Amino acid sequence: MASMITKLSAALALFAIGQAGAVEISGQGQLQTTWQHDDNRKAWYQPGWGVARFGKGEPDITLSRGAIDWRVDFASAWSLHGVTQYVPDPDDKLGFTELYLQYRTLPKNGRRFIMRAGGFYPKFSIENPDIGWSSPYTYQYSAINAWIGEEVRVFGGEVAIEQPQTRRSRGQGFKGVFGVFKGNDPAGTLLAWRGFTVNDRQSVFNESLSFAAVESLNTPQLQHQAQHVEPFSEVDGRFGYYVGYHRDFSNRSEINVYWYDNNGDPSKINYRTGQYAWDTKFISAAWRYKLTPQTHILAQGMLGNTAMGVNRGVDNDFNSWFLLLTHQRDEWRFSMRGEQFKVIDKDDWQFDPNQSDGYALTATVKYRINSNWLVGGEFLRLTTTVANREAFNGKPKQSDNVWRLSAEYRFNL
Amino acid sequence: MLNLTIFGRIAVVIAMLQAGLVNALEVQIVDADKQPLANAAVWLQGDGFDNKRTTLDYKMEQKDKAFVPHILMVQAGTQVSFPNLDPILHHVYSFSAAKPFELKLYRDDPKQVLFDQTGVVELGCNIHDWMLGYIVVVDSPLFAVTDSSGKVSIDLGAQQASALKLNVWHERFENIDKIEQHPLSIVNNTQAITYQIKQTLVAPLQDFSDGFDDY
Repeated sequence: MASMITKLSAALALFAIGQAGAVEISGQGQLQTTWQHDDNRKAWYQPGWGVARFGKGEPDITLSRGAIDWRVDFASAWSLHGVTQYVPDPDDKLGFTELYLQYRTLPKNGRRFIMRAGGFYPKFSIENPDIGWSSPYTYQYSAINAWIGEEVRVFGGEVAIEQPQTRRSRGQGFKGVFGVFKGNDPAGTLLAWRGFTVNDRQSVFNESLSFAAVESLNTPQLQHQAQHVEPFSEVDGRFGYYVGYHRDFSNRSEINVYWYDNNGDPSKINYRTGQYAWDTKFISAAWRYKLTPQTHILAQGMLGNTAMGVNRGVDNDFNSWFLLLTHQRDEWRFSMRGEQFKVIDKDDWQFDPNQSDGYALTATVKYRINSNWLVGGEFLRLTTTVANREAFNGKPKQSDNVWRLSAEYRFNL
Repeated sequence: MLNLTIFGRIAVVIAMLQAGLVNALEVQIVDADKQPLANAAVWLQGDGFDNKRTTLDYKMEQKDKAFVPHILMVQAGTQVSFPNLDPILHHVYSFSAAKPFELKLYRDDPKQVLFDQTGVVELGCNIHDWMLGYIVVVDSPLFAVTDSSGKVSIDLGAQQASALKLNVWHERFENIDKIEQHPLSIVNNTQAITYQIKQTLVAPLQDFSDGFDDY
């Protein structure tokens, strides 16, 4: 995988050098510091059984996020895009969360063609349009998008035909998307052994994420599975794909539906890294509706399945939804989100309980002091029931209260 | 003028207004329901007017992710600059027959574009699809955009003019290239006339755009 990303970066750099003419670099940066009060449980990546970032053993005040969302525009329809991100927990990583080349035409005759090649997020999320795929609404993303941020990224190519909503199209916009990718074979690992959680930690390319020492990994059946996931790695050599459709009504109501299938071969394992290819597929549907220019509703639902092992020894269905209401008043933004999530263990490996479920309520206030400074506070009430905690402390059910105060500095490149 | 104080000058202007010495033809544009129509482009064509040229510094700004002004009227042969006042890049384009052009992503740089053909030029931004602006290129110095009461005041530069053509355009015309024309046989520079739009207007698109639509 490392070599794949090196090759990708080299190819993109070569392309950039080969582009003649004026080059325009632009973008936005964000530095965020956070004070957090939580129930002091060790976070999964430590590794521990906690479901909140910045738990036990980590300072209360952190530089929680550093991101530069940049683009280099060439004289043609080509541009190079990247998000360079600093992730403090657990070991101060600096890496890319996205890096891709884009070809995007003008909407001649009302339609444009868009092509992306590299490593990036398919645009499933309606919640993460801010700098570096962050959310303008809450600090911590919904369980759905927290999981996407942790374990879903494609390395490949995407083509799209878009009719932007303009006067010419009478406000009717749509976009059809098709992508083919490599990598992302272990996606689903965290859902099986940790379950969904609510957080804003995005994995950088090449990242390896630990999770708690679940007992079943000591069994002969699962002995080759490492106690960490390398979510973006390639294991089975097969291509995955996704298709998506966006519909936009006058910028007021926007809907997107995606089908994602990493086409993993669950019988394949990389013994060196301890990573299986999980056969992970899901459907995601998201909707944003502007009740008024200031008050918006956002909703997203996801339904999927993930499995690993020759006979799909670990086989889980998963689903989640959220509903978010946000209101902007002058420099203030108030947001509330309610959500539910669930992993259903379908296989007959009794020694490896994967079922988990939970619900969460998030309330956030943000205040923009000026174009550079943004401050805010958030309360998250997260209740999770994870079956494999039984073997750890006899208490599958756990409630977490996470209080957060953040200040961030934003700048333009 | 006499050497007057500022108050003295104001008094003179008021007196001139009352005496009808400051003249202008007032045109009000109304829709099918006789409601005043704001943001309509109005211009008068007639013999002797097409050669007079006002040379002003015309600008179509991009400010807060919008074209400012929303509708700009210029005479054919005018250079218009496109200053970007936002901290982000814009990418202005037009596919209109009167002036197809593209200003690839840029900041600050007030690039100039020559509008030498009459017609309606619809402007878009390739980054922010909801940004919309118009440049109405006309072959007359007698033009204005209606205010909120649907009115324009146009000084004919003479007491009376004859054989004029009143032209009206609005962005809600179904076919935005279909300009409405109405002959005016004789008009006085103190007259007020009302013109009712003949075609039906498409429903206005309410603007719900925010900073996160371009994702």
